[in-house]
This record gives sequence, structure tokens and C-alpha cells, in this order.
Amino acid sequence: MDKILKKNSLSQWIKKLESYTIYAPVKKDQVWEYEIMESPDNIELDYPNTVLSPKKIIFPQREVFLEFNRSDENDLEIKEILPEEKPTIVFGVRPCDARALTITDKVFRSDIKDIYYSKKREQTTLVGLACNTPPSPHCFCTSVGGNPYSKEGLDILMTDLGDRYYIESITEKGYKLINSAKNLFTQPKTEDKKALEKNRTESKKKIQQQIKDIDKIPPKLNQMFDSPFWDEQSLGCIRCGICTYICPTCHCFDISDEITSTFPLQGKRIRTWDTCQFPSFTMHSSGHNPRPDRASRLRQRVFHKFQYFVERYQEYMCIGCGRCVDQCPVGINIIEILKKVRDYESKSLHAKTS
Amino acid sequence: MSQNPYMPKLAKIIQIKVEVSGERPIKTFRTQFMNKNEFSFRSGQAAMVSVFGKGESMFSISSSPLTKDYLQFSILKMGRVTSSLHEMEKGDIMGIRGPYGNGFPLEEWKGKNLIFIGGGIGLAPIWSVLQTALGKKEDYKDLTLFYGARSSNDLIFKKELEELKDKIKVSLSIDVEEPEWDEFVGFVPQNVTDKKPSPENTIAITCGPPIMIKFVIKALKELEFNDDQIYTTVENKMKCGIGKCGRCNIGSHYVCKDGPVYTWAELKKLPQEY
Repeated sequence: MDKILKKNSLSQWIKKLESYTIYAPVKKDQVWEYEIMESPDNIELDYPNTVLSPKKIIFPQREVFLEFNRSDENDLEIKEILPEEKPTIVFGVRPCDARALTITDKVFRSDIKDIYYSKKREQTTLVGLACNTPPSPHCFCTSVGGNPYSKEGLDILMTDLGDRYYIESITEKGYKLINSAKNLFTQPKTEDKKALEKNRTESKKKIQQQIKDIDKIPPKLNQMFDSPFWDEQSLGCIRCGICTYICPTCHCFDISDEITSTFPLQGKRIRTWDTCQFPSFTMHSSGHNPRPDRASRLRQRVFHKFQYFVERYQEYMCIGCGRCVDQCPVGINIIEILKKVRDYESKSLHAKTS
Repeated sequence: MSQNPYMPKLAKIIQIKVEVSGERPIKTFRTQFMNKNEFSFRSGQAAMVSVFGKGESMFSISSSPLTKDYLQFSILKMGRVTSSLHEMEKGDIMGIRGPYGNGFPLEEWKGKNLIFIGGGIGLAPIWSVLQTALGKKEDYKDLTLFYGARSSNDLIFKKELEELKDKIKVSLSIDVEEPEWDEFVGFVPQNVTDKKPSPENTIAITCGPPIMIKFVIKALKELEFNDDQIYTTVENKMKCGIGKCGRCNIGSHYVCKDGPVYTWAELKKLPQEY
């Protein structure tokens, strides 16, 4: 269902949605973040990439699984902590960030269901905003199967047409939001549809970064596991882990216990984000580490995204948002790494393939 | 029942046995669920054990699924969780969730000879599968156990091993000579080479330190075992147990879910990163 919403009606629409917790991009300390919106009057949807994607709402950086309490020596109680009932809307989601959730869905909602992720995913409605201009100079969504107006994972897609938004409701959840303020929306006219098409053609052209022949990468990686390439590419890495923390598709986590009292023993079991870029991620208690150096850890990040995940789910674990390139303090650039992998030739590769 | 895969069930320690003392102590814990929860598992599967306030660790279950009245873990004191476990006493409460992983395909091994080859704490997963095979001895041909450790003190299940000698062939080894020792002296793979088991209609199952497994496989290959006649288990650091937390992978495989049991034919195809 397509509709038109005048820009000056946006805040009225949001006011109608007061039964929901609403997140929107907010500028704080020079950066943009999704925060709970305080007033619909100040909503700003003209923003570059947020530091963290809406992943942080569905899969928070820290969440409690259970509480434990040892009241006396021979008795211990555990209390399951489940995510609270909280219908949520995220406004202004970039199409790539919504696609990222369809990728993490494969991990958390298939096979053995992760009820923490699933519950939040189900109760959250994602209202997307198409990218008229790339939010980052390192955007490369079109190389990994996305585009600046992708609807994958979204419930509504809004496209800025100057004085109005072109609104496409994609799911039942999205339809419900539009229905709650019917009179604010009008039917799109032929000129609106034309403007939308023009906008799409132009926005796609503005993506500067392209990785051609990306399909060559997974089979190439298979031959490059033992290549010195990973040593060369990871030389600058200071193992800060920022590339994975700000990644909308990275989902690795740790589970640990936090003690709030020792006598009596009380505490919480929590899940926190973790990263394959830390040595402790895979280190056994014996000290043995299957991924003992920067090279094996960078290799893991690239292989997980462009080989292992593809093998398991037939999809890249990357949506081309460019955050890891923007944020890496030493300039490790996954776009450049992928191009080098695609073009990589070495004596050993020749020996294997010939 | 909780649909939450991260929620442990409470279990009480009903017995603690000191297997090995000294610098690398090993204790065997027998546990019973407090709410008589049905916990069905296969030999070779693992469970996530909680010491509340310290965290969780994954251990292979060393009892057989045929034993219904307790769940047993044999644990080497090594890191944070295992050190706390070693301080626990009979009656203390731990958490258990699982079981995880694939387990040994005992059904597929019917009618075959089984050779178990363990080193050190690696006897724990073997003990479960060996007891299960013994419980259905008529399904299998000859059962043999090779087991070794650094010294006689480091052998686990010492008393049980003596009893086992009445039922199956047991060949023990220690790494270096000791005065009262009348069995093999040398590493486990050397003992296998020395005894020359035949690969004919036989499955070999080996668990132990990675370096031992590597040389056991080499020894078995020299005895002309095929890659798919050799089974082993892989261990990696784990947190979730259900293929989500992302750390125990070898290539696209999650050891917690797709493993820990692999044939050498399967394992050698994966990236050698474990």
C-alpha cells in the first residue's frame, strides 16, 4: 500500500503512535544515535549513518538472562528474566541496517530460537528511510545485494521527495501504523510515482564504492586460508574490536556472571557483545588459542562474512554500510581487502589450481 | 517447560571423587537434577555446567545414558569455572543445560570391533561411550581400551579400570618409567603402534590432548585404518552451546552443534584451526 505524507504532518503521525516506545536518530556529541524520542516535534530524518545500527535495540549490548540468589548453604534460586512486553517503533532506519536484521534473524530465529532476540524483533516495527544520498562515503550496499531503497526487513519504507514522503507499507505491522492516522495520508499521484522512480535511479548512481564480481570471493577465500595475505593485511590491527562492535551483522556474544552480593551470593547472568578480534574470544583455559594472532582473527572476520556464512545461509554477512571502514583507527578497509582477495594470485594458488 | 535455551536446570552434587591429586587435579562429580527433569542425551554429547557467580563451562558427560540416576562429569582444574567446581562440596548446587552436540553414532557401529584410545582427561567422553557399548555388548564384537597419562597418578578411573580388565582388553600406558609399573611405558600412540590392532571391521575412537590425537591418527593410518574408521572429538571455547555466539567454529562448522564428534575424514576437510 502506497501513500503520501506531507513533511509537516510527520510529527502529527508520530503523536498518534504514543502507545509505542519510539526510537529515532538523535544528534549527541557530534554523532548520531538511535535514542528514545522525547518529543515528536524535533524529529530529524536528515542524518548520516548512526554510530550503531538498530541492532542495539533488538540485540542490546548487555542483557540479563537470569538472576541467582543463594539464600542459604543448601538452597539456590534462579529467576528467569525475559524481555519486557514493549511495542517499539524505530523511525528512520537505513535500508541496509534493516537488511542486517534479516541476516541476524537467520542466526537467532532459526533452529533453536533465541527468545530474547526474537521477542524484541517481533514487537518492533521498523520504519525505513531510503538513502537519497549515501550516508557514508564508504557505502557499498549495491555490491552485497542491497540498494539505497531496499525494503528487506522493513515494515514501512519512506522516501524523501522534498516537501513530502512517499510511504510504502510493506508488512501488516507497517500497515497498522499508517492505519492509526489514516487521515494524514493521501493517495500518491502519477507525479509522485515518477518522482520516486527518478529519486531511486539517482540515489543508486550516487553509491561511490563498488566491488565488482563479488561472487568470486567465497571460492577464492577457500584457497587462501593459509596465505600470507592475512599477515600483511592485519599488520596495523590494534585489536580494538570496533569493526565488529559497530557492525550491524556481527552478532557474536559472551555470557558471564555479575555478582551483586557475595554473602548471600546474589547476581545476574548477562549476555554482552563480544568480538572475534580479541585474543580471549577463542582462548582455551589451558592457554591454547586456535586463533592466536591478528592474522587469524582478521581472517576469521572476513571468512565469517564472506565464506562461512555464505556456506551456511547462502548469503553474505555484510550489508555494505561502510561503518567498519569509517571507524577503523588504523585504516583497515574491508572494501579494499575484498578487492584484493578477488584479484589475488600467488604461486601457491597457481600451484593448487593448475 | 522453559523455551529459553539459556536457562539452566538446578542439580545437586551427590558425590565427589578425587581422581587425580597434585598440580593437575581431576575430580569426578555425580549430580542429580533437583526437579527430576528428564535429561536425555547420547554418549559424546556435552553439557553446559554453571557455577553461579563464576560462569559456565562446557564439559563432556562421562556417564552413560544407560545410567539414569545421575549425570557425571570428570573435570580437570584449569580455569575460573573449573577451579570453583573443585572447591564445591557434596550437596552444593550447580546449573546444567544441554545436552549439546552430535554424540557418537553407536547405532552405526553395530557388529564392529571398537577400539577406544584415550589420553589424560580424554577418558571422560570415552568412558560414556564405552559404558554404553558395554551395556549392549551383544551388539558389538571386541571392545578394546588403550588409555594413558603422564604418570600413574594422572590416570583417572583407576579402580574402574581394574574392574574393566575382567570384561574387555585394557592396555594402559604412562609416559615415563615408574618402579611398580608393569604395563606399557611411552606415549599413547606408541602403545597403539606396539599392539598393532587390526583395522578389519573396526572403529577407532580417540579423545585426549590435541597433540596426542594427531599422533594417534598417524599411528592408526600406519596400521591402515581408513579416515572414516577414525572418530575423535574436538574441543573449543564455547558460550551458548547452540551455534549462535560465534566462537567455537572451525570453518563454517560450530563444534557445539555440528561436533564435537567428527570422523577424521570429516575433520581433515575443515580448516586446520582448532
